[in-house]
Amino acid sequence: MVRSAIFTLVLGVSLVVWGSWIPAKAWLAQRLIERAWLETQTAGQPTKPWPWADTWPVARLTLADDSIEPLFVLAGASGQAMAFGPGHVSISASPGEADNIVLAGHRDTHFAFLERVERGDVVILDGDGSSTRYVIEATEVVHESRVDLLDRTGNAELTFVTCYPFDAITPLGPLRFIVHARAIESKPGDGRA
Amino acid sequence: MRVFALPFFLVLLFSTPPALASTELGPIRDPAELESGGLLIRTSDGLRQAPTMSTDVAIEVVGLIARASVTQHFTNPTEDWVEGVYVFPLPEGSAVDSLRMQIGERVIVGHVEERAQAKATYERAKRAGKKASLIEQERPNIFTSSIANLGPGETVAVTITYQEDARYDAGRFSLRFPLVVAPRFIPGTPAPPVEGFSGTGWSLPTTDVPDAPRITPPVHEPARAAKHPVRLAVEIDAGFPLDDVSSSSHSIQVQEKSANVYNVRLANESTPANADFVLEWQPAVGRAPGAALFRETWEGEEYALLMVLPPQLDAESTARVSRETIIAVDTSGSMGGASIFQARRAVQFALDTLHPEDAFNIIEFNSDITRLFEESEPATPRAIERAKIWVDQRRAGGGTNMMPALAAALEPGRESRAVRQIIFVTDGAVGNEAALFGLIERKLGQSRLYTVGIGSAPNSHLMTKAAETGRGTFTYIGKPEEVAEKMGALFRKIASPIFHDLSIDWGVSSVEAWPSRIPDVYMGEPVVVAARLGGSVDEVKLKGRRGDQPIGLTVSLKGGSDHAGVSRLWARRKVASLMDSLHSGGSTDQVSTEVAAIGVRHQLVTRWSSLVAVDVTPTAPANIEPDTRAIPSLLPAGWDFSKVFGTGASKSSPDAMPPVAAPPQQRLRSAAAPGVAVGQPLAMVQIGMLPQGATPSALLLRLGLALVASAGGLLTFARVRGGRP
Repeated sequence: MVRSAIFTLVLGVSLVVWGSWIPAKAWLAQRLIERAWLETQTAGQPTKPWPWADTWPVARLTLADDSIEPLFVLAGASGQAMAFGPGHVSISASPGEADNIVLAGHRDTHFAFLERVERGDVVILDGDGSSTRYVIEATEVVHESRVDLLDRTGNAELTFVTCYPFDAITPLGPLRFIVHARAIESKPGDGRA
Repeated sequence: MRVFALPFFLVLLFSTPPALASTELGPIRDPAELESGGLLIRTSDGLRQAPTMSTDVAIEVVGLIARASVTQHFTNPTEDWVEGVYVFPLPEGSAVDSLRMQIGERVIVGHVEERAQAKATYERAKRAGKKASLIEQERPNIFTSSIANLGPGETVAVTITYQEDARYDAGRFSLRFPLVVAPRFIPGTPAPPVEGFSGTGWSLPTTDVPDAPRITPPVHEPARAAKHPVRLAVEIDAGFPLDDVSSSSHSIQVQEKSANVYNVRLANESTPANADFVLEWQPAVGRAPGAALFRETWEGEEYALLMVLPPQLDAESTARVSRETIIAVDTSGSMGGASIFQARRAVQFALDTLHPEDAFNIIEFNSDITRLFEESEPATPRAIERAKIWVDQRRAGGGTNMMPALAAALEPGRESRAVRQIIFVTDGAVGNEAALFGLIERKLGQSRLYTVGIGSAPNSHLMTKAAETGRGTFTYIGKPEEVAEKMGALFRKIASPIFHDLSIDWGVSSVEAWPSRIPDVYMGEPVVVAARLGGSVDEVKLKGRRGDQPIGLTVSLKGGSDHAGVSRLWARRKVASLMDSLHSGGSTDQVSTEVAAIGVRHQLVTRWSSLVAVDVTPTAPANIEPDTRAIPSLLPAGWDFSKVFGTGASKSSPDAMPPVAAPPQQRLRSAAAPGVAVGQPLAMVQIGMLPQGATPSALLLRLGLALVASAGGLLTFARVRGGRP
């Protein structure tokens, strides 16, 4: 009896550690990626945040009112990349392009702020020698099969994809929360500003 | 339980189980869709189920000529009226000449029309609710089969027939029947679709490959692949006894039906369509033909197909001249899996043939090119050793930017040796063949280009044509264990003197023979020409040089066996020569008109003429616009899906790069030379879902806390119990 209680305790504590490690890793990784991003900007060559990383930062995302810490967007919306930062869906337009750029992130870590954004909020995406300001225009909840949201539209816009609902406990729901933003101003920048 | 549960749990704790943390653009996960068993594809209004298909192939070989009929059974498992579109391969030399569409008991025979006209006929029938079938050529080895108004639960069989001549090399005949169009790298920047040039593929049209959507069918992910079975039967009537009938690609059953007639069947009843079928047969010792002649009288004119083996002298011991050898090796994502191992071994083999007085260099290409040495260096034992280690470290990943690699290999460096040879090792999975042929034509100079095709489904149109334009020869390696044998044969060919400046004197001027310029021929290879005689020809003279020696051979044209279809083989060769003239600056307008006219006259499918069959009566209910559904291809055997289309679930081996298969340095440079890389997960998106945006963190925390609480409960309970005596 005592043995099984201890086992249950060890199991429980381990799950708690694991569960807390995920947001901790998400935060920690962003600090390492920040360094890689700055190096990328100075060296003019993509730099991996750690030697065995299979991705690299492609853009920096900030809110105009500085209500979140800058987020560093990684290449590819793969599971591995998104554990460390929001991912840039590689088939969508690249940061700096005047077309539909799609970013995907976890609703409970990097993209938690999406729950609070409002129409009219301004986000800034720096990448590839450019800095673009977008204004948030609409949000919607869609089924995960709506892959057409990743299509190029010909309009300079930014689309955020995260899971919905925000407070769901299990991670594998079929719904997605989409935030649409439209470009209002684009200028060349070095990404350090 | 505790004993094994804890280690198991620790493993869980320190790894990222894909089931929980998976967030990649994955395959469809909805169980309702999984149960249906078919594959879903994306259409204008969401994901839909694709029609399924199976293929029957029957090939009859008489002497040198193979006539094949390919039957595609389209089945519509859905409740809707649909249009099925299937992109499929045929041998690059195939002359497709007939189409039969079978609906239940009724058979509708098709005919060849000019491409645009055939398309219009088909579209009209589609709108009128009639069943219709259309066969179009996209590349000499890629065709599209469309079937309109396939009703719910209905099956329609479409049969096409073609002929080609078997390859004869070093005393062995071989046929190659491709079963799958491998995913190809599409270079260029995305371009707006050309009017009326729509397609159902995973690639966007690009500046370099405007018809990219038409040659890139969606691909089944291996784990979810439907069977797409193929049944295949071959009858060989060689005309002489055979020593051996074998297949290096599939296991087969061979039966001697009657004297000199052999029946071949696949040992496995329904083989998946994921690798080329290769069949070889060898005449009994002393019975190998030195020449063969087939003739046909068609519309009052006489046509002949002539095969002549130039005099095969024993390889004399000529002094070996020092040479410069450039080895270009493809290490793109499509070479992942078994191919990269074969490629490495082929390169190692080539290195072993070098002598210290030779010079050499190796060029590796994927999205980018890397050279072993800045310039070619002497093949000293040390340099060879270094090269071998370098080759061993090559990994597969990235796109297939073949153009710069080919240009670099063709560019002469400081070395100026008597012989300059380029060994080009690749699977040819690219969509811009024409541009590559043009480059070889312009830049070849004194070099010779030998292509080595790797893998289960190489692009043999590219391989053979590039070698022909490059005045070299084509070698195909299907399996790792074939490397030594095939590369050995290639180097023996290269080492012995070549037949060049070949010409055929027909004696009369009325003869129109194709190809008009006979390509160089290596030891063991025959000269094959097709001619419209236009008069009586009794004998012809083959002239040329072997090394420095002039050779001449007189062949009698009396006799020969009559064989239907020789005129079409002639027309097919003429079309091929006309298409070649496009690479050296021929005008598209003029060539397309000429090719379409030949196609219609000889009832031949070409780039500009298509086969179309239309049912007489409408069967679909009025006012129904059938959905267009692409039928996915299988991934070629030995290919690594994650290398080609990317997946987050790939193992973290050094070969596995992220979905965007190019590493960072190459991404930067590819901005200058962009391309819709095969490494980008386009197909995954087409059949996929939006990325998943949540971690199991909350779930884990709650589970953990619940467990801690219950542990507390258990402990308290134990203490209470323990407190009682």
